[in-house]
Amino acid sequence: MGYGGVGVSAELSYYQQMIDSITEHEVIRLDDKGVVCSWHPGAERLTRYAADEIIGRPLSVFYTEEDMVANRMEQELRTAAELGRCETEGWRVRKDGTRFWATVTLTPIRDGHGTLVGYVKIARDLTERREQLLAAQAVEQMLDAITDYEVIRLDKDGYVRSWSSGARRLKQYTEEEVLGHHMSMFYTEEDARAGLADRELSAAVRDGRFETEGWRMRKDGSRFWANVTLSPIRDETQEVIGFVKVARDLSERREQEQLVQRQRDEILELSTPVIQVWDKVLVLPVIGTLDSLRAARLTEGLLERIALNQAEVVILDISGVPAIDTDVAQHLLKTVEAARLMGSVSILSGVRPETAQAIVHLGIELGNLRSRNSLRDALQLALQIVGAGVAAEREPVNA
Amino acid sequence: MPDDVPIIRMGQNLLVTLQGNLEDTTVEQIERAVTREVARTRATGVLVDVNGLSMVDSFVARVIARLVAMVRLLGAQATIVGLQPAVAITLVELGVPMAHVRTALNAEQGMARLRGSHDELVD
Repeated sequence: MGYGGVGVSAELSYYQQMIDSITEHEVIRLDDKGVVCSWHPGAERLTRYAADEIIGRPLSVFYTEEDMVANRMEQELRTAAELGRCETEGWRVRKDGTRFWATVTLTPIRDGHGTLVGYVKIARDLTERREQLLAAQAVEQMLDAITDYEVIRLDKDGYVRSWSSGARRLKQYTEEEVLGHHMSMFYTEEDARAGLADRELSAAVRDGRFETEGWRMRKDGSRFWANVTLSPIRDETQEVIGFVKVARDLSERREQEQLVQRQRDEILELSTPVIQVWDKVLVLPVIGTLDSLRAARLTEGLLERIALNQAEVVILDISGVPAIDTDVAQHLLKTVEAARLMGSVSILSGVRPETAQAIVHLGIELGNLRSRNSLRDALQLALQIVGAGVAAEREPVNA
Repeated sequence: MPDDVPIIRMGQNLLVTLQGNLEDTTVEQIERAVTREVARTRATGVLVDVNGLSMVDSFVARVIARLVAMVRLLGAQATIVGLQPAVAITLVELGVPMAHVRTALNAEQGMARLRGSHDELVD
């Protein structure tokens, strides 16, 4: 065996064995013109040439056509000879014509008089690493292209390790201002003092993901309502080595939600008015369709007014309700019963003929429900009840 | 609630005030005290003021209904007063049978109703 220089001495043979054992790198000797003088398995593995195919041929066979035209080999050999070393990275060509991304180091060899006698060439295939690097860059660019979200990396203790354009847009800080700082700098003072950041990181580790909404601070001190997701990054041993944090500004949505809620409350308030028509007599005109939310609100509002006004009689006027179904009827009866438990008498009014038919056909138990056809009749009954109460209080005096 | 269940006598009527949290033992004490007092004073009406109860669930509701039944068996009329709106809703939603329990807004109105002068209109 033996590629190149046949063992003159044992020492040389050891060196050859050493070089033969290197498989991840190509380590070969060139003469002063750049002609290949030695070969080894690592080189064969990289470029696919056998020793007898390559020894005696110039280094330029590994170069791409463009590089050959540009005289790259001569340039690199000259640089190595002049500076004592030439390191390059670039495309090289295998025997089968395929390319690989190589890092190449050329070092001159000189004899005892300092005369250049050749070069040592060390090369390595970095195609894979280059692809990984490009992929990582692509991810970085991708994250940077997301401007509506903040996508950043934190280390395992919550210190900021990467920043993105979305983050810059959201929080106004530049990369230099935040890298290495703890994420709690984005929290409100109270949250930061309460150690909220650490609790959120712990929750993310425990559950594999943590999502929350809350106030966060911008550089200028203004607040925004953020939706934040924290996901732990783990290494091969499942050890948590950091976190990915995705955040976005929900202030606008929150404001809209609150506005809608406020308006809904107002509409409910307007749609279930309780009117005091007489001392201790309340009228609740029910208008429009009763859904469960409105119905619950109606009952609540009415009972509160009963407690507040100490109302003895409540008139539920349903002449403005277009249709009575089982749910609505049941709900009205529940309201009547709840009012009774509080000590108040209810009178149903405005029951139309078709409503009366519907309620009975629905098979709803009326109990001892008082009902009148018109609000006028209901009011008369109410006054009678209240008036009787007054009379009753006078009675002992008269007696 | 300790042994001294607050029961106030007002003429022919008794006013029982329930307060705080009702537990099995206190419920027994209340039932014993109320029934004994109704029998001893030959009261014709009992007002049960529940305004001070911190929580009314189905258990407490049944206790109230039971107390009312005992008073009726002793020949007196019972009226519940001071039920809070939230409590009233809860009782109705729970479906606790309270149909035969008389109620009033406050002790004053309860007294007036116990005097029974406008029963025909109210019940």
